[in-house]
Amino acid sequence: MMPAISRRGLGRAGAAVAASAALGPVRANAARKVDVVVIGGGFGGATAARYLKRFAPTLSVVLIEQNRVFHTCPFSNLVLGGLRRLSDIAHTHERLSGDSGVEIVHQRAVALDAANRTVRLADGSEIGFEKAVLSPGIDMRWGELDGYDAAAAEVLPHAWKAGPQTALLRRQLEAMADGEVVIIAPPANPFRCPPGPYERASLIAHWLKRNRPKSKVLILDAKDRFSKQALFRQAWAQLYPGLIEHVPASDDGRIVSVNASEGWIETAFGARHTAGVINIIPPQWAGAIARDAGLANADGWCPVDPSTFASEMTPDVHVIGDAAVAGQMPKSGFSANSQGKVAAANIVRALAGEEPVSGSFANTCYSLVAPDYGISVAKVYRSTAAGIVGVDGSGGLSPMDAGPDVRAHEAAFAEGWYASITKDMFG
Amino acid sequence: MSRRAMAAACLLVAVAAPAVAGDTSEGTILALSCAACHGPDGVSPGSIPSIDRLKPSEIEAALKAFRQGTRPATVMDRIASGYSDAEILLLATHFGKGK
Repeated sequence: MMPAISRRGLGRAGAAVAASAALGPVRANAARKVDVVVIGGGFGGATAARYLKRFAPTLSVVLIEQNRVFHTCPFSNLVLGGLRRLSDIAHTHERLSGDSGVEIVHQRAVALDAANRTVRLADGSEIGFEKAVLSPGIDMRWGELDGYDAAAAEVLPHAWKAGPQTALLRRQLEAMADGEVVIIAPPANPFRCPPGPYERASLIAHWLKRNRPKSKVLILDAKDRFSKQALFRQAWAQLYPGLIEHVPASDDGRIVSVNASEGWIETAFGARHTAGVINIIPPQWAGAIARDAGLANADGWCPVDPSTFASEMTPDVHVIGDAAVAGQMPKSGFSANSQGKVAAANIVRALAGEEPVSGSFANTCYSLVAPDYGISVAKVYRSTAAGIVGVDGSGGLSPMDAGPDVRAHEAAFAEGWYASITKDMFG
Repeated sequence: MSRRAMAAACLLVAVAAPAVAGDTSEGTILALSCAACHGPDGVSPGSIPSIDRLKPSEIEAALKAFRQGTRPATVMDRIASGYSDAEILLLATHFGKGK
């Protein structure tokens, strides 16, 4: 394939030609240069890479993703509930390279040099870029909970990045005895997938009800209120009476320390809990590569322009998805997908010397409380001078007190959404 | 590099460079959000209805009815409420086929 060079690249290429003519051969370690480097092949990055090529097929787009198989966090709770196998939520980037013409590099991106516009890979090689898209997702904020680090997560899993952690938590559930308790400990806001811990509690309860009928789920929460709370509570009362107990922060639900080797956790007021299975969902921040490149604020998240997603810290690097501060949009796969397309459109426009367009976004987060019981929260968003804001009068929650037909419809649409969005990401 | 080679290189570059961004019109930007549920270009691979075979007038009427609450919905009433008449027309034109 012929490499494409943008207009801005043309000036640079011309200068390089002139320099090499005057000074002899170009330095051997000069970075290979492409139009756009996308770091991270998940909901934000895969979408951005695919739409960059859709908007401008001649652009050279390299997607850097360390994993050859990507497991989606959406629907990973179904794996925990025994309703899907891990392989059902596994995806590859093959069609992105084959059909969409994105070059996939399966390596870890080690460091981003925003000033010199290069990214360094694990093998030491470098790729130069005109524009970079960072979609690194979240990292766990190890140590925020005393005693909870990467090693502890191999004993008491977070399962908040899908894949081996999901498999580990599922194995622990299968190994537990009837009558033992499953603890889920969600963090304070903001974190990836706000309704996720409560969907997880629901689908684990669904599995317990049939397989460990004397067991129950205890949610020790660092918050007092949670996403879709009234809908979840109504569903739990109907489907899982007495099976799910939620302890809010104000009732000493917030855990502050973890002892993985002895298998207990401790709350802010010193209450110690042990359980058959303990799932810690720790505090989070933007993926390391974004923080290390100086793109994060004091809270560990990356502030961006609400239309282009250009970092407020440096031009030519765009941050999308969970790592970004995207105004009122929640940290969800749908949000990342929506942001990836608008960022792609504006990057293509910038490379063509055109002004950015204002963004329009949507988000619908489905949660399955049971295989035939779905609930959702939705909203339409726009770029404004005050950041990304929800459109007044749009969105909202599924209705309370709806009949089983409505819940079944939403459950079916949750599966339809999964089929569509993964097609939109990976082709 | 000779002047001729240089000129040839520049010509090659000029041909390869994207002349303009592809379609990033307002209608396209609005329509980007729809694909996450209705599939790329409105072609759904799953249980959510495709929207690629409808007439513009059908799309416009459906979105307005969703917005008014006169068409049964689970989530489209909440989504359609985020769009003005003019934006609905742009979406209808973007996805609609024929007249």
